[in-house]
Amino acid sequence: MNEIILKLDNVTKVYPNGTVANRDINMEFEKGEIHSVVGENGAGKSTLMKMIFGIERPSSGTITYKGEEVHFNSSMDAIHAGIGMVHQHFMLIPSYSIVDNIILGDEPTKSIFIDAKEATKRCQELSDKYNFELDVTAKVSTLSVAKRQKVEILKTLYRNAELIILDEPTSVLTPQETEKLFDQLRFFKQQGHTIIFISHKLEEVKQISDRISVIRNGVSKGTYLNADLSMEQLTNLIIGRDLENDMDEYKTHEDFHGERALEVRDLYMERNGKPVLNNVSFEVKRGEILGVAGVEGNGQQELVKCITGLEATKYEGLIKVCDQEVNHLNIRGRRDIGMAYIPEDRMVDGVAGELPISDNLISTYYTREDINGKLFMDNKAIARMSDQLIKTFAVKTKNADASVNSLSGGNVQKVVVAREYNTNSRFMIAEQPTHGIDIGSAEFVHHKLIEMRNAGAGILLVSADLNEVMDLSDRIIVMFNGRIAGYFPDANKVNESELGMYMLGAKHQSEEEIGGALND
Amino acid sequence: MWSNILTTLFSMRFLLTIIRMATPILFAALGAFTAASTGIGNIAIESIMTFSALGGVLGSYLLNNAWLGLLIGLLIGILTALLITFFSMKLGADAFLIMIALNTFADSVAIFLLYQITGDKGTTASLPTPILYTWDIPLIKDIPILGEILSGHYVLTYICWLLIIVMFVVIYKTPLGMRMRACGLNPDAARTAGINVERLQVLSLVLSGVFAAFGGCYLSLNYLKIFSKGMVSGQGWMGVAANGIANGNYLSLVLSAVIFAVFRAVSIIFSSNSAFPTDLVSAIPYFSVFVILTAVSIINYYRVKSGKVEEH
Repeated sequence: MNEIILKLDNVTKVYPNGTVANRDINMEFEKGEIHSVVGENGAGKSTLMKMIFGIERPSSGTITYKGEEVHFNSSMDAIHAGIGMVHQHFMLIPSYSIVDNIILGDEPTKSIFIDAKEATKRCQELSDKYNFELDVTAKVSTLSVAKRQKVEILKTLYRNAELIILDEPTSVLTPQETEKLFDQLRFFKQQGHTIIFISHKLEEVKQISDRISVIRNGVSKGTYLNADLSMEQLTNLIIGRDLENDMDEYKTHEDFHGERALEVRDLYMERNGKPVLNNVSFEVKRGEILGVAGVEGNGQQELVKCITGLEATKYEGLIKVCDQEVNHLNIRGRRDIGMAYIPEDRMVDGVAGELPISDNLISTYYTREDINGKLFMDNKAIARMSDQLIKTFAVKTKNADASVNSLSGGNVQKVVVAREYNTNSRFMIAEQPTHGIDIGSAEFVHHKLIEMRNAGAGILLVSADLNEVMDLSDRIIVMFNGRIAGYFPDANKVNESELGMYMLGAKHQSEEEIGGALND
Repeated sequence: MWSNILTTLFSMRFLLTIIRMATPILFAALGAFTAASTGIGNIAIESIMTFSALGGVLGSYLLNNAWLGLLIGLLIGILTALLITFFSMKLGADAFLIMIALNTFADSVAIFLLYQITGDKGTTASLPTPILYTWDIPLIKDIPILGEILSGHYVLTYICWLLIIVMFVVIYKTPLGMRMRACGLNPDAARTAGINVERLQVLSLVLSGVFAAFGGCYLSLNYLKIFSKGMVSGQGWMGVAANGIANGNYLSLVLSAVIFAVFRAVSIIFSSNSAFPTDLVSAIPYFSVFVILTAVSIINYYRVKSGKVEEH
């Protein structure tokens, strides 16, 4: 066995608001290995890395680096110890040259001045040594994303990092660029560097790793030799299904004559020259829930933005809500023809926290006749309605005048759901509708969604929570890399590990199979 | 009349007026630029100039030494800057609101103190104040024309140009300057490089206060030789405007400040000519700021739009 360079013992992180990000994590990293840490979004990978890199401090447990227990107070301490991190969002200054970006904070000097010659020489030598093929005098703003990433890596090497953490490094790269990065990582390994590779793309993890550690819900699910682990086993470890919870018994099956609540055809969208949505076509019928599964960041957010019109984003393709084309309509226009929306980030897009519950309960339809007099709002009607909704949705509050900020997360979400429920829309987008709320509230929200479905609404359920998608949906599509990777006409006939394979890009259906999402 | 004006515009007197007018605006611009380099918008330059102008004169009167008076003026600039950082960084108040508050009460507080101390609401003319003099450069002063241009200016004018050169070197050639600019351009990147962003921001604001204080003391201890009500009259704002035009470019910072000074000089020369309405003439420098700022924003808008320059 090789020398252990980094060791985590019972590392636990509890945030001040009570969220447990990591619990009793034990992990060992060997010198000179490429060690992947995998898990779903929000599983606790990032928090763990932040603790290793000194950005966060563990609530309990110890971190041992090179045989000594360490207590980093800032990333500066970690850098001095020889740990480098390439962040998912680059930490570069576009108007500086590559050299200046690399030396920033650790500049070679000649008396009081920066020794520009020496700096350029050192950076160029470093770049050449690792075959980065960079002209280090170039401005960072002129570089491609892949080259910017190289600059980030050079920054860590310049500071003599022995252990390099790469946080989702391939998320911004093309397959060819990824291939090149992997070659470089293997080279680093030869040079004796240790690499921690954070990713949720299983294929890549299988391709590059020596060993793999899995984190699920903040808990370590063990470290395995890559060679000992099949793709299927890995998927099961990552996704894991904890609860069996059958919502089917609440579903009724009335006939809405196949009326469409939503139709999306050939949706295409680019961001920074890369397609983030490609050839996406599907429909949502009235009286059904179409689940969109997928690891976050595979185009779901963009899809929702296109359909809601939330962002003035340019897209190609056709979107119809309740059989009306909406491409030219703004959010108001789309809502007016029957769209409701439960946004992902309730505190930002869902509510105005400082305002009373009653205002938040009407904010998306305040122009409606029953609450809006000719000149002034009909406050009595609003009060009546909010009291009713608060009761129906069991929002825990003293009265409707309390500010939304005074509520717990689950109750805030109930306010949002109550409002959207009360629009009586025929089409609803529910984006991560139970993200981060307690089980009781989540179940309540689920029941309300099914109630709406039974009453004839078509619901597009976008969720990173596989349990939720499988429990609620009638049909399921899986998104990967901006495309529909799989379509499942019967949600009851698919299991989580199969969905997982599509979510993580290990499997992909044919055009005809996927076409069913639109034509079934 | 026009020939008269033309002769004036090309006279040595006009050039010297520009140099005199440029000093306080340059100090103010340098202050705004230094703060902006770490991402802090210092709009309190005007009020710091006012406080320091008064403080400088009073200090000089009390200590009976103009240089000690200058020191007091500078200390007041530093204290005001620290006050801003204390309220904004420690207590979490909005820095802009604090600076607006400072600006609104600067003049009245100055006059209040003035009246309390001298019994005069307008000027410190009644106080026997030692002041800073002009400086004749040995040898150079005897060279014809060049001697007249380079020699015989107020001491603080020389200090001003010296500081402009020093700050250029500091900001663009030293690790400190590189780190300061990094804070302004991408604080997160600076932080991950192990830089203490907040500390550099405090430092830059303090330096900014010092430069603004120099500008104020120039007016009261050197140029006008007294403190008088409303003497800063927008020169701090002109520095802020010059920084806005410069947008991080040091040369255009200096040029913009000098151009504003040219318009001030023009306004002074025209005001001595009774053919023009005085109010209109004294509006020239302010109007020029307005026109130049508007023109620059329009040009920038189209340059960004046409893709010639990228946004930061």
